[in-house]
Amino acid sequence: MFLAWNEIKKNKLRFTLIMGVLMLISYLVFFLSGLATGLANLNRESVDKWDATGIVLTEESDKSLLQSSLTLDDVESVEAEETAVISQMNAIASNGDTKKNVAIFGIREDEFIMPNVTEGKAFSKRNEVIASDSLKEEGFQIGDELDLSSTEETVTIVGFTDEGRFNAAPVLYGELSTFHKVKYGEAAEMNKDQINGIVVRADDVSILTKDDKLEAIEIETFIENLPGYTEQNLTLNFMIYFLCIISAVIVAIFLYVLTVQKISMFGVMKAQGISNGYLSRSVVAQTFILAAIGVCVGFLLTLISGAFLPSAVPVSFDIVTMIVYGILLIVVAVLGALFSVRTIVKIDPLKAIGG
Amino acid sequence: MTALELSHVTKSFGTGHTKVSALKETNFQADRGELIAIIGPSGSGKSTFLTIAGGLLTPSTGDVIINNQKLTPLNEKKRSKIRLQEIGFILQASNLIPFLTVDKQMKLLDKVKKGNMTKGELEQLYHDLGIEELRNKYPADLSGGQRQRVAIAKALYSNPSIILADEPTASLDSNRAFEVMELLKNETKNKNTTTIVVTHDTRLISYFDKVYKMTDGVLALESNVNATGTM
Repeated sequence: MFLAWNEIKKNKLRFTLIMGVLMLISYLVFFLSGLATGLANLNRESVDKWDATGIVLTEESDKSLLQSSLTLDDVESVEAEETAVISQMNAIASNGDTKKNVAIFGIREDEFIMPNVTEGKAFSKRNEVIASDSLKEEGFQIGDELDLSSTEETVTIVGFTDEGRFNAAPVLYGELSTFHKVKYGEAAEMNKDQINGIVVRADDVSILTKDDKLEAIEIETFIENLPGYTEQNLTLNFMIYFLCIISAVIVAIFLYVLTVQKISMFGVMKAQGISNGYLSRSVVAQTFILAAIGVCVGFLLTLISGAFLPSAVPVSFDIVTMIVYGILLIVVAVLGALFSVRTIVKIDPLKAIGG
Repeated sequence: MTALELSHVTKSFGTGHTKVSALKETNFQADRGELIAIIGPSGSGKSTFLTIAGGLLTPSTGDVIINNQKLTPLNEKKRSKIRLQEIGFILQASNLIPFLTVDKQMKLLDKVKKGNMTKGELEQLYHDLGIEELRNKYPADLSGGQRQRVAIAKALYSNPSIILADEPTASLDSNRAFEVMELLKNETKNKNTTTIVVTHDTRLISYFDKVYKMTDGVLALESNVNATGTM
């Protein structure tokens, strides 16, 4: 630490540059991780809100809620502590000024996926809906009458709930009967038993149903099969891991160049009997100091710029994830330094002092 | 008491036709409290001798014994430890670390080794070398002579039993050179260390107990001022 710190103090510019690079990389990593979390939330927050362990869909739907088609009778065949039926469709909702892509959930008021109301009141009549409060930012208000695409029906917003987005679309929660009316119009009565899935809370999801045509899946599996969800996460995570590798390589190159410059100095120290271990620890300590400061500054900058972002940017910082990535960055930087340690160990003190 | 002994040591580089014998069979002993000079033209094998004696270079044959410990069979790690504990190097190339102040150069030795000089002794050493004013300066801010004096302070600070110096007065003017030699002589006598100086500088001959001459890899005793000294 003694050598490491004194060298940093003496050569401020040089080490500030390295720190700056690490800071920028960590800033990018933190921001991407925020974006990954934000985009993931966009897709899954309404599902997380159910606090369910599994969902029962038809086997042929291939884990897609929209493509699954069940009847209310199927609920009887599901052996779970708690069940909640759900119907879902997508539509364009318009309050006259703004058009917005929305998801419509048809649910029962007395079952557990009924959302909490943060503003206004719960639906009590047909064609009343609770809306995701993300719609509020788009200019929708309580009392707005919404025209829905592909139907003559209109629905009225009577309340808002938080964290209500499904596959990036704000959700309108309504009674099953509202849903059927919106979806089937005149044929609503004929289709009143139709639902898309059964959300369940149970200890063991795999034994929920013996019906071959039905498939019970873990809620996490269901989320991963939301359209685009897994692909998007893989892409962002790939970028994050790649950035970690890049930072390791950059640190390795920087330190290697610095080490090569100091070969004769290390050689003299080795001639004087200072051990490889001490010199190696010094380089590793130096990298640790640089990486730790760089990552911390990057962390702060991320939080600061996050506070100034417009809410339309889907960035959501998960502190635990960021700390994990921060530690990962420091670890890979130190791994990059090991490259220089090898060089130090191989220095022949005799050659270095020109003997 | 023998501090350093080279027994039947030879060193050759290369093999076959290109084989060069840098050091012919050499037997050498240095006792505690002796100040020894090795003179000779460049390329005569002086530096080879010094690096072998300091455990930096392994001889082709023969043994190097420092304070009754054979150096030759030890691995680099153990030899490095002996260098740290027993030997103070004063090298031709300045052996200072560019990003440490003079005081911190000494502090580094405290970090890696116990049993260095006390604070009072260090102050005395600074005073003797005339570098008290330089303690907070970086090597880049020192003149060549000042750097050399700091390097000497560094070698002496670790209380070595053997001091190996390669042209320690090369970058000093005559007065400073004499002062440095005086200092090395005092250290040698007071601390009962063994000091071996490789030098071109014939002005200094009078300071030494023994003078050896190296010619084409052959080491020969030239003068022995100290009548009681044994070869």
